Amino acid sequence: MSEAESKMKRRTRHKRWFEFKKPISTPAVFTLGISVWVIFFGLWELSVPMGWVTELLVPGPSKVASALYELFTEKAFLNDVGISVYRIIVSFIGAALVAVPMGILMGSFRTVEAFLNPFVSAWRYLPAPSFIPILLMWFGTGDAPKLALLFIGVVWFMATIIMDHTKNVRTELIETAQTLGANRWQILKSIVIPAVLPDVMIALRQMLAVSWTYLVIAEIVASTNGIGAMMMRAKRFIHTDEIIAGIIVIGVLGLLFDYLFRVIHRLMFPYLEDHGR
Amino acid sequence: MNPADKIKLSVHQVGKSFRLRDGSMIDAVSDTSFSVLENEFCVLLGPSGCGKSTVLRMIAGLEEPDSGILSLDGHEIFAADRERGMVFQNYTSFDWLTVKQNVEYGMKLNGVPGRERSERADEFIDLVKLSKFKDAYPKQLSGGMKQRVAIARTLANEPALLLMDEPFGALDAETRWNMQELMISIVETTQTTVVMVTHDIEEALYLGDHIVFFSSHPGTVFEDSRPAFKAGKRFLLKEDAVSLDGYADAERHIMRLMREQGADYLTKDDN
Ligand SMILES: Nc1ncnc2c1ncn2[C@@H]1O[C@H](COP(=O)(O)OP(=O)(O)O)[C@@H](O)[C@H]1O
Ligand SMILES: [Mg+2]
Repeated sequence: MSEAESKMKRRTRHKRWFEFKKPISTPAVFTLGISVWVIFFGLWELSVPMGWVTELLVPGPSKVASALYELFTEKAFLNDVGISVYRIIVSFIGAALVAVPMGILMGSFRTVEAFLNPFVSAWRYLPAPSFIPILLMWFGTGDAPKLALLFIGVVWFMATIIMDHTKNVRTELIETAQTLGANRWQILKSIVIPAVLPDVMIALRQMLAVSWTYLVIAEIVASTNGIGAMMMRAKRFIHTDEIIAGIIVIGVLGLLFDYLFRVIHRLMFPYLEDHGR
Repeated sequence: MNPADKIKLSVHQVGKSFRLRDGSMIDAVSDTSFSVLENEFCVLLGPSGCGKSTVLRMIAGLEEPDSGILSLDGHEIFAADRERGMVFQNYTSFDWLTVKQNVEYGMKLNGVPGRERSERADEFIDLVKLSKFKDAYPKQLSGGMKQRVAIARTLANEPALLLMDEPFGALDAETRWNMQELMISIVETTQTTVVMVTHDIEEALYLGDHIVFFSSHPGTVFEDSRPAFKAGKRFLLKEDAVSLDGYADAERHIMRLMREQGADYLTKDDN
């Protein structure tokens, strides 16, 4: 083996930090994933004593953590969280009950699409928050205007996405069922709906994230309770630690809901798992 | 054809044209006539684009003819129906159902009681040699196995006519050949009348009791024959058919037709 050759070999054997698209070990994935947070929180914690920021505006992570603890133990924050989650769930179920059947029917029948789609598309382009003033006038200050905002914020997009997914159900599946003797109702029930259901669940999961956005807008603009309202109260008393605590709680809840949807998806559609044949 | 043979399917002077996006019309099928006898394995062969699929879809009732009449057992065909079950080239397994549930699907629609349905499904799953995979989901199956599910599902529904549009076109050579031999044994067992579309000459010569050759633009029957070299027999092993006297001549003849008609299609498409 010549020297040049052995040099070459050593070079290719040598493990490098950056290799295009090469897999890395599981411990490395964990270590790297945790490090980014350690660095983030470390810099954040340091930024106050180092004088990079004023503590009044940017409280350190430990301060935020104790604010979070106090919120739950002394300031009944759990009620606010409960109210926000309730608003999300109720409005989201309402929107899904309207959008899923509407989307599936629009995607299945051109007549339904021709009738409903111009209407749905127009609504989609109206920003939901622009309805806040009128919703407040119609529904007053209770839960109703928030639920209404969350509903109109997601229902049109949801219907459109589900329509598109339904259109992608392969014609051959429908035609196969026809040559097996299925009528239209049977095809809708036993082919179109089961075929599109996994995509519907994914669409719902994506729209839930949008729902959280509108929730915060609604609660910040016009609410006396909920996570967003707590944050606006905290702003009045310059409790920045509580504001940041609120942001963190929203993030954690969002992740939790997303995870929940993924679990449901796996449980509902075991047949989608490819066993590598 | 002897006088005792019963005509199962009749396609009589059928024409069909499509409107293209630019508004012009294309004659996909014109003045096409042929008949298929009871228990016959009929193959529609021809270069691609000559209207084979369109004819098959009209037989299935998935497409309406502009002119002419199609009839099954003397009754005119109007719409898709369980009498005419279709197997497509693309996989049509219902992913959310197990193999057995797939095979039971048609019977369930048509109100076959549970016990009988289950037994008949088992029987047809056995026929396509998938008994070990009864409870598997289609995602876990290979392409050839998915097509066997589709075939079992259609046959378990007891159609009067089995329609297949290039069912083995997406399979690798070895699987395709196994499937062809399986088809012969299935047809021999179930005594089903089959109309199958292909552009594979070997497949047509091996499977077809009756070969209808289409020419293109407009698509119409160019030659309608029952290969003499097989003397009306079917062969469970493909090599037995291929090694018959007269096979090579028949193959050469069809290859020439294919070349002429295919070339014809190309030059016409150019102008
Ligand atoms: N739905 C359709 N719309 C427009 N043109 C079509 C349609 N179906 C088939 N055609 C045209 O009709 C001709 C015959 O098609 P097809 O029956 O699919 O041929 P083959 O199956 O022999 O390849 C082709 O030129 C094809 O482009
Ligand atoms: Mg075709």
